[in-house]
Order: sequence, then C-alpha cells, then structure tokens
Amino acid sequence: MMKTDKIKLNGAQLAVFNSRFEGVVRKMSNTLFRTGRSGVLNRARDFSCCIVTKDCDLLAAAESLPIHVLSGPDMMSKAMHEFHPDLKSGDAYINNSPYHGCSHAADQTILIPVIEDGKHHFTVLAKAHQADIGNSVPTTYYGAARDVYEEGALIFPAMKIQHNYQDIDDIIRMCKMRIRVPEQWYGDYLAALGSARIGEREIIEMGREFGWDTLHAFADQWFDYSEKLMSVSLSVLPKGKIIGTSTHDPFPGTPDTGVPINVRIEIKPEEGVVEVDLTDNMDSLPFGLNLSEACARTSAMVGIFNSIDHTTPKNSGSFRRIKIKLRKGCIVGIPEMPTSCSVATTNIADRVANAVQCAIAELQDGFGMAEVGAVLAPSSSVISGKDYRNGNDYVNQVFLGFTAGAASATQDAWLTVGHVGNAGLCYQDSVELDELYMPLHVYERRIIPDTEGAGKYRGAPSYYCEFGPIGGSFEVGYVSDGNINGPKGVRGGQTGGNSDQLIRRLNNSVEKLPACAQVTVQENERIISISTGGGGYGDPMQRDPERVLSDYLNGYITKERSKTTYGVVITEENEIDNYETAHIRSE
Amino acid sequence: MRFAADTGGTFTDLIVEYDDGNIKMFKAPTTPSNPVQGVLDALANAAKDSGISLHKFLRQADCFIHGTTHAINAIITGNTAKTAFLTTKGHPDILLMREGGRTEPFNHSVAYPDAYIPRSLTWEIPERINYAGDVIEPLNEEAVIDVIQKMKGQHVEAVAVCLLWSISNPDHELRIQALLNKHLPDVPVTLSHKLNPTLREYRRASSACIDASLKPLMGQYLGSLMKKMEAAGFSGKLFVVSSQGGMMEASSLAEAPIHAINSGPSLAPLAGSYYAQLEHQYEAVIVADTGGTTYDVSLVRQGHIPMSREMWIGEPYRGHMTGFPSVDVKSIGAGGGSIAWVDGGGMLHVGPKSAGAEPGPACYGHGGLEPTLTDACLVLGYLDPDYFLGGSMKINIALSREAISSRVAEPLGISLEEAAWSIMDLATENMTQAIVDITVNQGIDATQAVLIGGGGAAGLNSTFIAQRLGCKQLIIPEVGAALSAAGELMSDLSMEYRSTYFSSTENFDIKRANVVLADLRSRCEDFIKKAGQHSKQHSIVYKVEARYPSQVWEIEVDLPFEQFSSDEDVVSLRQNFHDTHQRIFAIQDSESHVECVTWSATVRCKMNQRDGLGRVIHDNEGRKTKTRQIYFANYGAVDARIESIHQLTIDEKYKGPAVIESPFTTVVIDPGSHYSRSANGSLVIEPFGA
Repeated sequence: MMKTDKIKLNGAQLAVFNSRFEGVVRKMSNTLFRTGRSGVLNRARDFSCCIVTKDCDLLAAAESLPIHVLSGPDMMSKAMHEFHPDLKSGDAYINNSPYHGCSHAADQTILIPVIEDGKHHFTVLAKAHQADIGNSVPTTYYGAARDVYEEGALIFPAMKIQHNYQDIDDIIRMCKMRIRVPEQWYGDYLAALGSARIGEREIIEMGREFGWDTLHAFADQWFDYSEKLMSVSLSVLPKGKIIGTSTHDPFPGTPDTGVPINVRIEIKPEEGVVEVDLTDNMDSLPFGLNLSEACARTSAMVGIFNSIDHTTPKNSGSFRRIKIKLRKGCIVGIPEMPTSCSVATTNIADRVANAVQCAIAELQDGFGMAEVGAVLAPSSSVISGKDYRNGNDYVNQVFLGFTAGAASATQDAWLTVGHVGNAGLCYQDSVELDELYMPLHVYERRIIPDTEGAGKYRGAPSYYCEFGPIGGSFEVGYVSDGNINGPKGVRGGQTGGNSDQLIRRLNNSVEKLPACAQVTVQENERIISISTGGGGYGDPMQRDPERVLSDYLNGYITKERSKTTYGVVITEENEIDNYETAHIRSE
Repeated sequence: MRFAADTGGTFTDLIVEYDDGNIKMFKAPTTPSNPVQGVLDALANAAKDSGISLHKFLRQADCFIHGTTHAINAIITGNTAKTAFLTTKGHPDILLMREGGRTEPFNHSVAYPDAYIPRSLTWEIPERINYAGDVIEPLNEEAVIDVIQKMKGQHVEAVAVCLLWSISNPDHELRIQALLNKHLPDVPVTLSHKLNPTLREYRRASSACIDASLKPLMGQYLGSLMKKMEAAGFSGKLFVVSSQGGMMEASSLAEAPIHAINSGPSLAPLAGSYYAQLEHQYEAVIVADTGGTTYDVSLVRQGHIPMSREMWIGEPYRGHMTGFPSVDVKSIGAGGGSIAWVDGGGMLHVGPKSAGAEPGPACYGHGGLEPTLTDACLVLGYLDPDYFLGGSMKINIALSREAISSRVAEPLGISLEEAAWSIMDLATENMTQAIVDITVNQGIDATQAVLIGGGGAAGLNSTFIAQRLGCKQLIIPEVGAALSAAGELMSDLSMEYRSTYFSSTENFDIKRANVVLADLRSRCEDFIKKAGQHSKQHSIVYKVEARYPSQVWEIEVDLPFEQFSSDEDVVSLRQNFHDTHQRIFAIQDSESHVECVTWSATVRCKMNQRDGLGRVIHDNEGRKTKTRQIYFANYGAVDARIESIHQLTIDEKYKGPAVIESPFTTVVIDPGSHYSRSANGSLVIEPFGA
C-alpha cells in the first residue's frame, strides 16, 4: 500500500479535491434543507454539515454556521470513537451533548463513519437545530434553567442510533415519547440522517475514484497549506496584547449588572500565532446561558476570523495557529455537569466573539469589526400551541426578522447577519409561509430609521416586527439580550439600536415584557419585537456623502439624522448640498 | 426558410436555414443605440448573397428567432424604467430583507445589496388578505388613488404590484391594476400573482419588480423590431429566446420581459453539446463562446443542459432573485474587444471594459485609440488585415501597432511583440479562470473534458486556453462563429403551464385532480394551435411537485399518464415519490402520505425539421495556401501555413503551426498542436499533439 506522505499533490489538484469535499458538504446541506420538516430547518436553514478526517480533524464545512462547526465536530467525533471503538459500515450515531463536543442540546447531530473494506476513513456530520428537544418548557433556548435537570433536554452522549442502515428502535421510541410533536422530530431526524448518508455515499465514490490514500494525502497537505495561509494572515496584524470586553444584559440568575466578558488577546505576527485567554471570567451561573466547550472555543475563533483575510481556509490546519486558553467550570470555558448550556450558541458566545473583534479593531485602524447585534428577540422565538385549523400541536422556532450586522473596516454591515455566530447564513421566514404553517398573523415588519450604528461604515438598523396568534393563544419563548448593552461601535463608530419586547393587549395598550421569558399570548394579542441593530466603524462625519444620500433614499435614515449625525445636507430634490455639507463637516 | 439572429455587444450573428436544410452564416456590426439596425444589416447581407431584394428575401421566411442581451444590458447599466413598487401596508422592506442568507460568512468587504426598488419609490397600500384568501382589511381605493398621484409627481414609468397572499385571492391586485389603468394609463404594470404565482412574497415581488422595470424598453424594442421587419417584407412569426433556453413568441415576451434576461447566451450550451457529441460521446463538455465583449462559459455533463433553479441577477444573495429558472451560463467581461491598459502601478489589465462595436478596436479606424485583444492578434500575425471577416471589412494594422506601442509596450518597457503577446496571455488567463471556476465548483477535472470554442474570436486563443486547462481536445464547430444563433435554430418552442391544487394521497380526489390535468392539457393544445402551428412535432409532459407533510420544498415527479384512471394510479404516484425522494435524498418516509401541490404540463413544439442542423454552404474554396509569420512567446516568430478549412482533407492529421481561416473566424494553432477536419465539418485540435 502507498504511504500517504509519498503522494504529493500539486496546487491545481489541491484546489480540485478541496472543491470536491466542499461540494459533498453543499450536497448534504441541500438535502437537509429540502427534506427538513420543521421551519427552523426548511425555512430558516439553522443547520450545518461538515466532514472530519479519521483523526477527527475538521476538513470541510462549506458554508456552515460558524458557531456550529469551527470547533465541536472534532470533539463529537472523538466521543464517538471513545465510546464505540469498533465502528461498522451502516452505523449512525447521535450526539447532542454539550459535555461531549456539541454546541447545545438543541443542535442534535448525526455522525456517520465512512467505512470501506472495514477501514474507517472519514466521518460526516449533520447538525440540525431541533424545533424541540424535550425541554421542561417548550423552547430550545431555556435561559432561566438552573441546571440541565431543570432544562430537561434529552442528552445523547454519542449514542448509536442506526445499525446496519436500520434505526435502533429503542432510541427512536424514547425520543418519540419525550419530544414534542414527535412526527416532526422524526421527519427532521430522517432529514439529517439522509444528509449524512448522502455525504457517506459521495465520499465512498471519491475513495473508489481516486484511492483512499490520495484522499488522506490531500487532507494532510490541505491542513499544511491552510496553516501556512493562516500564519501569513496573522503576520500582517499589529503585534500586541489587548483586553476586550463586552457585557451581556442581566438575566434571571445573573448579577444585577449583567455578565461582563473579558478576553485577553496576544497577537504574535512574527510567529503567525494568536492567543486568546478566556479564563479571567466568572464561574458558570445557575442559568442556561453557560457556554459549552465547543462554543467557547468557536466564539473566540469567530472573532479572530472576522478580523483577518477572509480567504484564509477554516479547518484544523489553520486552527493550529489559534491558541485558546479555557478553564473548567468557567461560564466561557469547559462546563461540568449539571451546568446548563441550553442557550450556548448565541447570547454569551456572541459577547465573546464581539469582544475579540472589537479589541482588534481598537488596536489598529483597518482591522477587526464593530459589535454585531445581540439575540434572541421574540421575532426569533420558539412558538408553541395548538393549531385551531387542524387540532394539531405545534412547536417551532420562527425567524421573523433580524438585522444586527456590524460595520467592518472597509464596508457597511451586511444587513441580515442575525448574530455574530451565525454570520447571516440563516434565512428569514416568509410571512406567507409562516401564516400558512402556523396559526399566526404578521402585522408589520420594517427597519427602524435612525437606529443604525452610525460610522464611516455603518452598522445595521434595528428591525421592528409585530405578530400574534389567531384562533387561540400561543406561547413564545425568547432570550433577548441588547436592551441595555446595545451593539457598540469602534474607532468613533456609534452604537446601533437596542432591543426591546412588548405586548399589545386587546384594548390596544402596550406593555413591556421581560428580556428572558416564556410568555402566553392570547388570541389577537400581539407581540412587538425590536431586534438590535449593529455597531458602526469609524467617525460618521467621514462617511462618504453619496452613501449617506443612498441611506436616506433607502429608508435607513431621515434627513435630520443625515445632517446632525453625518453632517450631510440633502436638498428638497434629494441631492447633496455640497456647500452646506462642507460647511458643517469643517466645523 | 428560417433565420436566427443573435445580437451580441459587438456583432450581430445571423444564420439562414434554407428550405433544403443547409445553412449559411452572416454577420453585421451591432449598433448599440439601435440594435434592430444590426439585425436588418445582417439580413441585407444575406439577401445580397441570394441575389434578391431584402423584401423578396424576407417574404420567403416563415420564422425568425432572435436572441438578445438587451434586457440584461439595461439592468447592468442601470437603464431600466423608473419603477414603483406597491406592497401591503406594514411590509415595505420585502425587497430589502429578501429571504436572508449569505455566502462567504467571513467576507465583510462585500456590500449588502440595495433593494431592487428603493424605499423612496415604494408605497404601502392599506389592505390585507390572509392565507385562506379571506379579506382581513379591505382595499382602501382612495389611498391607491392618492399613491397614483404621488407616482405621477415622481414621473414613474412602470409599476409592480405584489400584495401578501395575492396568490390566494388576486382581487386586490386586479383592482389596483384597474385603478392604475384608469388614472395612469400608458404606464405598464406587472402583477405578481399573474407573472409568478408562487408562495413566498419576496420572490414574487422581486419577479414583478424586475419584470415591470424591463417592460417599457423591451416592449419598445420588440415592437420596433417587428415593425421594421414587417416594413422590410417579413410576414412570418417572430420568436425570442428565453432564459430557459426555449423560445417564446415576441408578443408574449413583451408582456413578461423578465424571461429575456438570459436570452443572449442560453442556447450556446445546446449547440456546443450537439457538435461535441457528433464527434464523440463526451462525459463533460465545456462550451465557451467568445464574443467581442463577453466570454460565456457553461458545462454540459452527460448531455444535460445545465440549469439553475433560481436565477439571480448578479451573484446569489448579492444580487436580485428573478424567481425563475434559467440555463446556467457564466459570463465574464473578456472578448475580442477587451481593452488592454496599464494602471498607475505599472500592471497590465485586459478587460472587463470593451471597445464594443463603437468605436471598436483601434484597427477599425473608427476613432478607438485603446488597444484591444483584436489589435494584439493583428500585431502577432494571427489576423490578416486583408482578410478580416473574409475580407468584407477593412482594418488598419498600423493603428493597432500605434495603440499597443504607446499604451502598453512603452509604459511596460517591452517590445511591441512582447506587449501584444502579454495582452493575449492575460486574456487567455482570465478566460481560463472563468472555466476553472465552473469546473472546479462542480468538482470536474477539466483535463477529462472537451472544450468547444464558439464565437467569432474563439480561434485566436482557444488552443492556449485548452493547453492551460489540460484539455486533450478542442473542437471548433463549423458554425462556431455563430454558436448561439445555431442553438436558436435547434431549439423548441415551449411553454410550461402550472396549476396549484393541493391534494394529499391520504384522501386523494381523483375527479378534481383530473379536472386540473384536463385544463392543463387544453391550455397546451391551444398553444399548439396558435403558436405552434408550424411545428413539425409536439409533445406534452405532465409533472406534479409533491412533498411529505410539513416539508416546504417540493420535488418533481413525472406523471406517466394524462388522467388518473383508478386508485392504483394514486398508489403508484405515491410510490414514485418515495423512490424519487430516496434517489435524491437517500431517505424515504415510506409510512407517510404525500402531498401534491403544483401540477404542470410542458408543451414542446419542434420547429426544426431535423435533429440538429444541416451543413454550412460554402461558396468558394477560400484562398490559395500560403504562409505568414506569426509570433508565439515560446517559439518566437515562426512561419505558419495559412489554410482555408475547406482545403483540409477530412480526418487527416496536420501539425501546427498553422492559421486556419474561414470567412468568419481564424483559428491559430501553435507548433505543438495537431489538428484535423472531421466529417462533420468541425475543426478538431489536439493541443498537446497526438
């Protein structure tokens, strides 16, 4: 047999193999998207697929949700190997354990080892956010959970769910007993399984076409190449030590001042290395927002990758250049049972990533980013109830609208980013699809003018969404950060709009709701959700006046704000008054 | 007699198919300000060739097929109509928020796209219909009239209307149209439920807005084309190529011009694949079409024309979704007219800017001072100044030399030949990368594929592109210079009719499903009677888009019958769905029922008498063989044989260097390559020798 280190692939071959593997992941993703049953999968696309090597190194993740995949698939596969040393063709495993590499319990992951002639070559993973995972309340984001017992999620620490391509019915039966709307869960399980089986099928074809040794040689060389590029990308950053901070709003179970997150970053451009130390943070809290180890590592990486050349590959090769220091029992470290990580992918994780990218921005102009807005406003809540039209129970996360994008050093925000760990990959619900599939009505959705994080490059404006149940009541569960600590700007950029949540009663009066809650909304009452904007980068007075005018014409800002915040005067005919503008800006 | 004319940025290509099936190619320069003129000029050339008047010539034709880039050019250059968007009150940001989604999650240098219609031209209309089609809030007609007055004030030229749930109940959209027609006559309107009756408000709104914004100019363009053709004597039918690679009646297209967005390049893959398969059963065919302005590439695998199910203008997520499928062709700004320039830092660029038809390359002598790829070819000896387009056009090599010397050679401090070669080399690299993008993206190894060189300028560097890609064969079809027009003559007249009728296999209503299918059939038959009256053969294919309960994306399943005859047909439909789901997605939910949502019938009328195309008629044997000095970087100046393609013995292998000439194209073959002429009239080149 040929040794893999004897096979040398040239640059063109590396490119083709990389595309082939990425293509496999895209095909897996497409399968999951098109076959999923719950809206969180088939409308919002809240899932990720990836491939790891036989040594559990992340090889290809195509365009997966960053918080889902950068770190975690490696640990989940290791757990599979540890508990099942004898992997067989036809096996499939389920892992959603935040103590075994998964992000949070809702991100149920199917792992399939790719095996030919009894040899294990790669592992394919399909991670899909469930509409329900059996929590004690109908939400997959149980922010107030004291611990994993109160959280109530079913936890699968890398268990076998298929043998010889057949379901192990004991597990399926238990899930159908404990998870709400079991047909929906089973359909989603099938979708993830199909996606992983597609990946398995495609990789086996590649193995037969090119030879397994060649594929393994590719992985080794691709990692080396990626590491080299990562080192180059880091070498242009300014050298230095910095501390970044970002504060999560107070929630049940936190101090009244909220949860401050501190990151210590040391950039060593001459070595092509960056170190992120997350140990100087409080211990895990009795709530559901503690990070899993996967999310702690990944959120730090997201902040780094947001701050460097975007063409740098994201895989285990480039990750060798990021050293992350974690502490056991820390809120942003390695959680120990029974710490709850129910909401690990968003709130606190976003604070970590934001702290990293803002710190790098403040270190030197041209790098880093402003703060991306916070989640999860009620427009992204989990909704449950009984559909009066057919008598069926339903539970599902809606994605009725979010913006939150932050400005970068060279460009305005991508509007629909959602949150920093998501990067805008999730889709947003169509009003028509939501109204068709759930007994709800969407009254209004619009961006809110003058809430953008002003700057030379501007952040996203806040988003307004008003919706409510029809033909009966429903329950909404949400965990909305950013009401007090809005998305900060950097280098003179301003803070974007804060979040808020209200309820419109039947008499049309409007009341404020708590930030982290499970709320019953009566028939024809309406939830008003205001999601955060995003931070700006640089001084708004330096913003290109043409962009300011365009923002006015596109409804982002009013003429008044154009003048006061950006110093740009727009005439009655919607043209820039150059004279007045120059005058204001020179003051 | 039929003809097909394809208007490119630089030349208008015409192919005439005579009644005996043989064909002939003609070309005329495109007049960008008046694209109809180029078509008429090319037709005048064809009439002259037949020795009869244009009027008499056109009388003989029963069918004229036209491919045009007019629509996409208008969008790219921002010359579409000033369009207003009317939407349900409370939902003004449908076009801005779109459906979310993004590519390259870590790339923060790409701007978020503006809405296709800005908020300043968006108006919210008080009204609301729910999912069941019930009116929750009646249409406020006074508010509509008020909005119409505001639109008048803003000199709006077209209007798109997309209201929530107009697909369940179109009354409000229809009523708004009536009010617009009354108070704002002569301004074209697109209603979302009529154009693209699909669920999901963004894609319906986007379709409607793009369509409305094209209506004034496409209506005018097609109207003027028809009028001038009729005035010149044409009395047959005018068809226009659609993005889906079929053809539509010009009058239907004027009513839904969104279908013309990919009209230009959508048929080159069909023609390219056809000429490749004449030579050999290739697994993968790269079809490249080099025009004056753009280089269009597509990848045909196992004979399947590549389609994208959701065509975007621009890149996915960064542009605008059209809401319709299209033939998948990638286009970059590179061609014979691509301008070469040296930037402030001393780096050479070729394209994407093109000298176009006006002023054209420097050698045309129409005032163009900037050197183009065509000028470089002249200097390298690849083109003969005395035999450009078969000698029909005079060009001036001195102007090419002057342009390249002053604008490339001197700034870079290199010789004239080196400068010309560098221009050629860089253009080759840009074109190669466009192909690498599509092959690599699909995981195809280009070394195992065949390259088809289409377009008038293909022969100048396709051999080099094939060498860069590692392709073992390059084929230049005899109609290569007008590949899209050739595809147009091969295409079918087709139309798809769709009907939404929900029925689950749990309680399937055979009677009602059969009513839906019968209605689809009668619409197809009407189409055949009207549009397809000259067709030689026609077919109707029935399909249903179905899903498992609570899925939201359907898959297409063939219906092997026109009507359900018994419950067994329902059982077989359900089984067929399970099997298809298993094949595509590796799983099936065999216990589950299947929900049928959208029923479709596609009618195809074959307008072409034969399979493929006839042979090109040649009037003369070309010029006598001689030699000319041409320049290659690796070999320096070499003496190359100049041959007319007709003088080559069929299937005999020749060795480069050579220049193969025909009236419309010149193929340069370097010393390392071999070439032969196949029995099908194609030039087959082996870029790495035998």
